[in-house]
Formats: sequence, C-alpha cells, structure tokens
Amino acid sequence: MTPPVIRFDDLGQVFRTEAGRAVTALDRVSFDIGRHEFVAVLGPSGCGKSTLLRLIAGLIAPTRGAVEIYGMRVTEPRDEIGIVFQRPTLLPWFDVLGNVTFPMRHKYGRVTEVERARARDLLALVDLADFADKRIDELSGGMQQRVAIARALLLDPDILLMDEPFSALDALTRDEMSFELLRIWSDRPKTVLFITHSIPEAVLLADRIVVMTPRPGRVREILDVPLPRPRSMATLTDPTFHALADHIRGSLFSRPAAA
Amino acid sequence: MPSPITSVAVSSPVPPQPEAATETAPPDARAPLSVWLDRSAPAVAFLAVLAAWEGATRLFAIPSFLLPAPSAVVTAALATPLEVWLGHVWATLRVALMGYGLAILVSVPLAVALASSRLLSRTLYPLLVVVQSTPIVAIAPIIVVTLGASDLPRIVITFLITFFPIVVSTVTGLLSTPEELIELSRSLRAGRTREILHIRLPYALPHLFSALKISTTLAVIGAVVAEFVAAERGLGFFILFSTSFFKIPAAFAGLVLLVAISLLLFRLVGLVQKRLVPWSLPKSER
Ligand SMILES: Nc1ncnc2c1ncn2[C@@H]1O[C@H](COP(=O)(O)OP(=O)(O)OP(=O)(O)O)[C@@H](O)[C@H]1O
Ligand SMILES: [Mg+2]
Repeated sequence: MTPPVIRFDDLGQVFRTEAGRAVTALDRVSFDIGRHEFVAVLGPSGCGKSTLLRLIAGLIAPTRGAVEIYGMRVTEPRDEIGIVFQRPTLLPWFDVLGNVTFPMRHKYGRVTEVERARARDLLALVDLADFADKRIDELSGGMQQRVAIARALLLDPDILLMDEPFSALDALTRDEMSFELLRIWSDRPKTVLFITHSIPEAVLLADRIVVMTPRPGRVREILDVPLPRPRSMATLTDPTFHALADHIRGSLFSRPAAA
Repeated sequence: MPSPITSVAVSSPVPPQPEAATETAPPDARAPLSVWLDRSAPAVAFLAVLAAWEGATRLFAIPSFLLPAPSAVVTAALATPLEVWLGHVWATLRVALMGYGLAILVSVPLAVALASSRLLSRTLYPLLVVVQSTPIVAIAPIIVVTLGASDLPRIVITFLITFFPIVVSTVTGLLSTPEELIELSRSLRAGRTREILHIRLPYALPHLFSALKISTTLAVIGAVVAEFVAAERGLGFFILFSTSFFKIPAAFAGLVLLVAISLLLFRLVGLVQKRLVPWSLPKSER
C-alpha cells in the first residue's frame, strides 16, 4: 500500500491565551488522507478546524503528535500545498490576472510569460477567461472566490486546503461553486481537505467526512460517502444523500458518546 | 522586482461606469438655474463672503488694522513687488517641502520597523509619543539655538510637527493587512522582506495617503512656526514683520498666500494618489 498523502498522528494543539489560560483546540486527532482523496472536515464553530489546516500548512507547530505529508513530518510550509481561505482576500492593486500570478511574483520575484499563460488557463478553468483584466472590485463574491481558487492552483499543488471557502457566499452561488469545484477537481485531481460546517456541502463534495466534536476538537466519526461520481444535481435528491446528511445531523447534535 | 505601485499606474483608466451613471441621470429635468447653482455653489458662497466682508468693513468703517477689507488686502499685496513675494513663498515652500520630505523618508521605514518588531514598538512608541506631546512651538527656539541660523533648524521643526501622523497611520495600515494574506505569504515561504514590500506596504498606502494629506497642512504650519522664531525670509517672517509695523493688510496678503500653498499641496497629494494608487480611493473619488 502506498503511504497516505497526509497523516495525522495523535495530533494535539493547546493554545495559551493572552490571559495565560490554556485552550485545547485539538485533541488526539489521528487519521489518514489518501492520494487524490476529497476529505471534508465538519464540525461546529471553534472545534479547531482552521487550526488543523494551519498545522498541515506548517504555519504553526503542534503541541503534541505530528502531521506527516508523504511520510515526512511537517515542520515548515511546503511547496505541495495550495490554500483557499474563507474570504478571497485578493489584492486590490492587481487585476484578476495579477492576483492569480501573485504567488509566483511573491515567491520568486517575477512572473514569466509561461506562468501568465498558465494563469490564463486556470482562469478559463474557473470560468473567468474574459475577466483577466478586470479590477477586483468589479467582481462578485463568487467570482472573487474563483480567482482565489485559481491563485491556489497556480503553483500546481498536490494538496489543496480549503477553509470554508464558500461560507461567505449566498446559497445559490454556493451550490453553483460546489459543482464548479467538483468539475475543477476532476479536471485537475488533487488531494483535497475541505473544511466546512455545512452538512449538505460535505456530503455532496467529499469521499469521506471527518465529523469533529465541539471543543476540544476530537474526531467523532469518519464516514464514507458512497455516492457515485460524477455528482450532479441528481445527487442532491439521492436517498443515500439524505440518509447520510440525517445521520450526521443526529451525530452532531447528540451528546458526546461516553466511550 | 516589479513594484506593485508602478503596475497600477499603467493599469486601465478609470472604468466607465461613473460617466454612464451621470448620463442616465436626467440633467434636463432640473431648471437650468438650479444646475448652474449646483456647480458654482462653492464659488458663489466664497464671493458672497468676500462681498459681505468688504461691505461690512465699509459700512461700519472698521479700521484696517483691526480687519482690513479684501480690497485693502489686494492693494497691499500689489504694493509688494512680485520678486519679493516669490522670494518669501519660495523660502517657506522650500522649508515646508524639505521638512515634509524628511518626514516621509524617516516615517515610512520607522513605521515598518515598529510594525515588524514588538520589542521595537514597545521601546520606541513611548518615546515618539513624548516627542509628539512636546509643544513644538515651545522647543522651536531651543532647536534654533542648537542648530544655528540656517534652513536646518527650520526643516527639523517642520519635520517634528509632520512626522508623527505619518508614522501612526502607516503602522495602522501595515497592521491592518488581512491575516490570510500573511498566511499565504508564509505558506509560500516568500520571506519577511517580500511580505512587507508586496503585501503590507501596499495595504498601508490608503492610510499613508490620508496622513500625507493631513501632513501637508502641518508642514506649512511647521515652516511658519520656524520662521516666527528665527528667519529673515518667508511668509511667516513677512507676516510677523508686517504686523509689528501695523501693516495688517499686508499681513493678510501673506496669510492668503499661506492658505493657497496649503491647499495646493493638499490637492497635489490627492492628485498623486489618484494617479498612482487609484484603488486606495473610494470608488466615488476615483
Ligand atoms: N492563535 C491562537 N491563540 C489562542 N487561541 C486560539 C488561536 N487560534 C485558535 N484559537 C482557539 O482555538 C479554538 C479553535 O479555533 P479554530 O479557529 O481552529 O476553530 P474553527 O473550528 O476553525 O472555528 P470556525 O468554524 O468558527 O472557523 C478556538 O477556541 C480559538 O479561540
Ligand atoms: Mg475556522
């Protein structure tokens, strides 16, 4: 068996607040993510989802256990990772193309013609081919988030980390973006860790769903999503979809099991 | 390294929506008089104040050493030869601009240092506040004695009055950068220098420009204060000199020029901002 792309090994994260109080954000988190797998992490606010993402990205060091990528312990940010945040946070002084090529400019100091062409391809992939020269404030929230996705894909990461990327969007745009993401993902297969607190979103998108407990964040259960791919509007009416969503809802709102 | 600022300068001109918006607004629906009034209201108000002022001074026969009539100010202005005026204007402008320039040169790197290091900001910030809290007018004579009779003390005084708002605003701007962008930068391992040059400084530009606008006025004030203390040239000196001989209309003429310089510098900074960093302005002002 090939080693997992991402492995969480007894991961724990305790923060010290300014007042000196200890906050346990994550506790005893252990699971693996396989190559090109789409894993959704679902949990209530404050259960440590973003912390998990920062740990994989190497932005913070765990206080206990370890994250491994391709079997190597993460100690600093690595090149294989692209991140999409909750807010698109684009740079208002660049046009759309400038924003997509920004990681290149920022990391290497300049942008080559090859890279610019790549950025245009990515814009076509996220359906914004005609918007390359537009200013950021001329785009809708959904379009901005597409630009952010294109930006995250620029350096062709193996792993895509997404922290509630659609939660700032309205419901309609959100569904549209979910299908869009699935299309992008089948076009450019990646290992995806997708954080959300929307149950339907998790079920629609993921191969597996990691359900977390409220603070301190632990893994409550890991569920396989047996829905066939490619997923479409029809998936939303599949009885399996609803059964799974209901199960998760019950699980999230029940008291933690005494085990 | 391509600077983000230059690439903005060459970016497309202002999007055409504002024009479209005014075109769709029905301009003919209003009476021509009200349209004219809307456009020229500021000028009309200004002229009205001048007329009232002129009228009041004549009507109540106010002596010119209390409040000179606008016509008296104009007469006094014309009595002084143009080269003399230009000499005074240049002296004041030179000091104001040099102090202002020095303030920018010192403040921006200082702000970067303060925003980057907690230790530095904790040691330097209180010192800066002390400097800022010192009435510059009060220490101006001391500075003149220490630094001797040249432009140097005047530039230093202008600098001291001007730099603080620039530092504070720039620090605020540098620290207002969204956390996600900093995380993006760190995940790319781009380094601290690029983080500051590519992300933090551009983000601070709107704040910096606000401070730069305020500081134009402060720079003129600084130059005038310095001239009050020690100078043989400049508009501040001219006003002081005229007043001591009860040539109040002439002093007023000097004052008008000072106001004009302040407004001009303010406007100039606004234009620079509009040209170089249009995105830092609210949409309606681009
Ligand atoms: N740098 C930090 N210092 C102190 N406490 C922190 C820090 N970062 C996170 N926390 C705490 O850790 C807990 C988990 O935070 P985290 O942001 O990971 O939650 P989350 O699951 O992403 O929540 P949400 O769904 O609201 O985004 C919270 O209680 C938070 O207050
Ligand atoms: Mg979060």
